[in-house]
Amino acid sequence: MKVKDLNKSKLPVVRIDNSLEKYKDKVLFKDKLDKANQMLKTIGLPKSRKQSG
Amino acid sequence: MKLERYELKAEKSLMVFEFVSEGPKGQIPKLVQFGETNLKDLYNLAFGDKDISTGEISDSVVSNNSDSDKVLATVVATVYAFTDRHPGVWVYATGSTMSRTRLYRMGLTKYLQEIMEDFDLYGQKKGEWELFEKGVEYEAFLVQRKND
Repeated sequence: MKVKDLNKSKLPVVRIDNSLEKYKDKVLFKDKLDKANQMLKTIGLPKSRKQSG
Repeated sequence: MKLERYELKAEKSLMVFEFVSEGPKGQIPKLVQFGETNLKDLYNLAFGDKDISTGEISDSVVSNNSDSDKVLATVVATVYAFTDRHPGVWVYATGSTMSRTRLYRMGLTKYLQEIMEDFDLYGQKKGEWELFEKGVEYEAFLVQRKND
């Protein structure tokens, strides 16, 4: 099976690229994250949420 | 989701992904990040363009590369990959503008049946979470992968 065919499944083929490691500990979209944190501080998680794990 | 999508690259923890949009405006590298929020096990999904010349990343640029369906399908694929690697987490997403949020809602609505097979999906409305429904304007979205 070719990568192109495998990539049609819901779970995609992901190639590991070590050059992306430099982004891992950086906040790339700070404004968006700040807004999300502000929103989540008041709204939290759904009340009917399932327990994770 | 049977939509065509771009090939993905990521760092080892699958929290940062990169793909390249291709269209009339040329090749535009895009980064997707699942950022840790102040809530445990809840990550903020954000993506934007990487400027090759400056290295800067922006989620406010409008690429107009005529491939928004393919881009969204690719971002959805990163959610599958991320939640497969990090089971039990929640993913929060909203657009950088109201029109982008609406675009995401339309994308979610279009493939709602398939999404609901794999995720619990919520929409934020007036400061509350509710189960996502078609035709309702939401300010943000929250998903959690269902247990297999």
